[in-house]
Amino acid sequence: MRTIAETIDRVNHGLLLLIVVALGWAVPGAAYLLLGETKRAFLVFVTISITFAIGIYVGSIGVVDPLAETIGILGRLNPWYLAQILNSPIVFLIGEATTAGAYPVYGKPQEIGQLYTSVSGLLNLLCIINCIYIAQLGTAIGKEKKNV
Amino acid sequence: MFNSTVRLLASFTAPENITVNPQSMLWMLPLAAAVAVIYKVTKLPKITARVFLKETVVLFASIVVFIIATVAVLWFVTWLAIE
Repeated sequence: MRTIAETIDRVNHGLLLLIVVALGWAVPGAAYLLLGETKRAFLVFVTISITFAIGIYVGSIGVVDPLAETIGILGRLNPWYLAQILNSPIVFLIGEATTAGAYPVYGKPQEIGQLYTSVSGLLNLLCIINCIYIAQLGTAIGKEKKNV
Repeated sequence: MFNSTVRLLASFTAPENITVNPQSMLWMLPLAAAVAVIYKVTKLPKITARVFLKETVVLFASIVVFIIATVAVLWFVTWLAIE
């Protein structure tokens, strides 16, 4: 049977993981900052921001469109949007403005814009997962063996 | 800060004019660099400028070489099919 202190520890740890996820999603790299990994935080913030900004610059905000033109496995939800939304909640606001082709974009600019914005979102997901790992074990990948 | 960020991003309302030509393949380079940087950020036990740069450049070069090799193989298969 768990003691009260153990239960509080578990709740606090769960809360920390939730904060890490929320912070990592809100601002790319912020979760690393919370965990004391300043260099990683800076590199992640700069890289993901620039990658997303290049996508928006090349393809315009029209590449962020929550609704697909055709009905697919996800209904009217655009599958690219699922990856783009992982960048930050800001994508929600952009999506509100661009819903249903308000800013149409076609061809190569759309292709490059979608790739950049979606890949930056997936890279942010990778960083969030890595932050959860660090928060769970209290150490970065590759350092675990020294602590055993 | 938040509002100004949204305003800045929302000001990109017209796409750039990019044509389909061999040079447009160069758009893969910044993306490959971003993937290499983020991957190494998550994998290196300790971030030091020298090691990080070396590891990132090696991964970036590996990605680019692999893509070029894939293009070469696909081009060769296509060439065999149409000849």
